[in-house]
Amino acid sequence: MTDREIDEALERIAQTPHELESALLGRIADSIKSSLRPVRPLPPTWILACGLALVCVAVALAGAARAGFYGIEKMSLLQRALIFPILGLLVWVAGTVFVNEMIPGSRRRLSPGGLLGMASVVLVGVFALLFRDYRTEHFISAGIVCLLTGLLHAIPAALLSWLVLRRGFVVNPISAGLVAGTFAGLAGVGVLELHCANFEVTHILVWHTAVVPLSGAAGVLVAWALRFRAGSGAHGRAALQ
Amino acid sequence: MHEHARTGKDWTKTIHLMCPDSNLEMLMTRYQEGDFAAATALIEGISPQLHRFFVARFASHTDADDLLQETWLRIHRVRHTYRPGEPVLPWFYAIARHVRVDHYRKTMRTRAHEQRLEEISTVAATASGKSGQADDLGDLLAPLPESQREVIEMLKVAGMSLEEVARATSSSVGSVKQKVHRAYRKLRETMNAMGRRKGQSGGQS
Repeated sequence: MTDREIDEALERIAQTPHELESALLGRIADSIKSSLRPVRPLPPTWILACGLALVCVAVALAGAARAGFYGIEKMSLLQRALIFPILGLLVWVAGTVFVNEMIPGSRRRLSPGGLLGMASVVLVGVFALLFRDYRTEHFISAGIVCLLTGLLHAIPAALLSWLVLRRGFVVNPISAGLVAGTFAGLAGVGVLELHCANFEVTHILVWHTAVVPLSGAAGVLVAWALRFRAGSGAHGRAALQ
Repeated sequence: MHEHARTGKDWTKTIHLMCPDSNLEMLMTRYQEGDFAAATALIEGISPQLHRFFVARFASHTDADDLLQETWLRIHRVRHTYRPGEPVLPWFYAIARHVRVDHYRKTMRTRAHEQRLEEISTVAATASGKSGQADDLGDLLAPLPESQREVIEMLKVAGMSLEEVARATSSSVGSVKQKVHRAYRKLRETMNAMGRRKGQSGGQS
């Protein structure tokens, strides 16, 4: 059998009328009639992405304002000029991917896994390029503090970003959770870059960058738990009926 | 039943009668504005395609009817997420896919639960929905995995473009092309194997 024959078989099927009862269509139309009101479509992607970027900036600034801007004060001009614009770019890309995850039928230019990989690799590359202190003092103790600080600031960023996108519709909860976590993790990295004055390469490469994948993983876990809970709830209701 | 049936072919006529020079995107915009005629035209126009999409996977028309109703309720609830100017079919199919995945997951959970209660035999007949009513499309695409099957359905049966299928399945155009390529290879292998078997059995008799 050739591709042409498969095409013809599929075309024959496509041209066969698929019958539906009018009663079924009538029931569907009736079910939506009572609640048919004008609705306001979602704003364009760039507006929602701007909202998300603002959330990220606000969380990073608020976190650093509370903890102190020691990191940015100690940075050289080159470090400032490279780290923050690149972080901003990653936030923008993550924001647009996040918006697309919340709108069915959106064009996907970057997969959630690709976004996480790209963000992690870019951060590692930039940090490796800009920092030259190869000592490893208090690697674990200082690192855990930074990791927790980053992850704790990712939580409000994630919650506020869900608020911005609350009118969206999640088609794939796991993907959306991964993107939300990655986005929130970038806000956490923003706080660390503004605040942390420990410029040891290994510290920054491991503990600052780790905020992004760990936050992404947390997003997946939360999404999975919510889906499981929703499924259990539905199953329980069905069992009661 | 045939007297009261709607087919996928007469919907364009219906739409043009109700609203001349309109297309799906325009109807969707009017549906968002609260126009019931546009909503009805969309229901009559899209439902046969969506129903076929469900039948090809679940084979049972009853299940497909339920899923279609569920899909329209979901579409109605989230109709504000459609943005005017964007292609509307990927939006519909993305929601239909979501409903189908939800249903599949619930079915699996129900089956697992009922297997624990040692009622496997009754559940297998009802929960899987395979009631032996599989249509031609289901039969033809049966050897394919789910991801390839849905891509072929959208591309070849619903008549969507590669870009639209990519949007509906949240993947890239390259990934859709790869799935189509693999699906065709698999279909060719299956059909050729079936042809050989038929030839052998014909020769023996």
